[in-house]
Amino acid sequence: MLENYAILPCNGLDKCAGVISAEIAKKLCENAENELICPVFYRVADTKYNKIASEHQLLVIDGCPTRCASKLAAEKNLKISQKIVITEEAKNHQIELTGSLTLMENENALIEIIMNGLNKAEEKPTQVLEETTVSYNFDYETFQNGKFIFRVPKNPEIYYNENDCWAYVVGNRARIGVTDFVQQNLSDILYFTPPEIGDEIDQFGEVGDIESSKALVALISPVSGKVVATNEMLVQKPEMINENPYELGWVAEIELSDFESDKELLIGFDKYFELMKKKVEGSNG
Amino acid sequence: MSETTFMGVERNKIDWKPTIDYTKCDYCMECTKFCPHKVFEVHENEEIRLIVRNPNNCVVFCRACSKICGPDALSFPDKNATTLRIKEIRKEENNA
Repeated sequence: MLENYAILPCNGLDKCAGVISAEIAKKLCENAENELICPVFYRVADTKYNKIASEHQLLVIDGCPTRCASKLAAEKNLKISQKIVITEEAKNHQIELTGSLTLMENENALIEIIMNGLNKAEEKPTQVLEETTVSYNFDYETFQNGKFIFRVPKNPEIYYNENDCWAYVVGNRARIGVTDFVQQNLSDILYFTPPEIGDEIDQFGEVGDIESSKALVALISPVSGKVVATNEMLVQKPEMINENPYELGWVAEIELSDFESDKELLIGFDKYFELMKKKVEGSNG
Repeated sequence: MSETTFMGVERNKIDWKPTIDYTKCDYCMECTKFCPHKVFEVHENEEIRLIVRNPNNCVVFCRACSKICGPDALSFPDKNATTLRIKEIRKEENNA
């Protein structure tokens, strides 16, 4: 059972998904160990809710991808422990929302599924399968632009795509993550959504989302294959991507399916370092 | 900032840009605020108030604007078809 959480819903009262978000928040707070944060009151008077947020883990319930509740959490500098987006949940469970502001059969069915999912997730042990023990001996080149320092590992086993993601290939596995360019642009990373273990990923497919107060980016996989492990520590400490996006901040481990073909659209250190420098200089101009 | 090539292929040869579904778009303009590459342009006083102005500024394989679009009004081409096309163009140009 989900317990000891502060619940921050989007509360978009003029939208079906917002009404669902508020309803789930209310239901979760029937458990006395959970506390509701009213997003409207939080904007004008935050002392009470800052205290609640500091004493509990935070569950954010966004109604739609506009992510009003997530943005509010970012503005208030809150660390998000769990997050759901109602419209995404509806898509995933193939439930069509009626658009009504009164909860109908479909909306109630979705609420039940989400409530069950949240409560079960709390009971489920963390799933980490077949993670390889990787020792890093990365040799970095650095580039400074103003106060920002960008590091890029030079090792030949590391490949990059032009979407600023890296793959460290060892045998038939690759660890993947984002480069310093992404983490510097995002600034303080507040939330990480990992891919599912077992997901089959195409080259340039999305393997998780990274979110800061500035933006949300999807990690675009340099390689194709099956997700065999994710960096569970990032769920609790997404800021590790800021601290070191290449080692402790790795995102997922992929069992490669066709690396020879993937390589055709990847670049090595030399080309990526030059590309990144151009991007950094371009983003200043 | 926009690159003129992607993986050695001229950007304007790669069909990768958002398409706006005007039956869904509610002109909240979150996409324009979000995209740092100036892909979108706002036309406040016209009937169609939002257009894709600079498709070649769009970062190939990036779909971030569609992820923050509340009414789900933005779509992108098929990623695998785009990947294949990039490989074909590279091959054609290497053989030329």
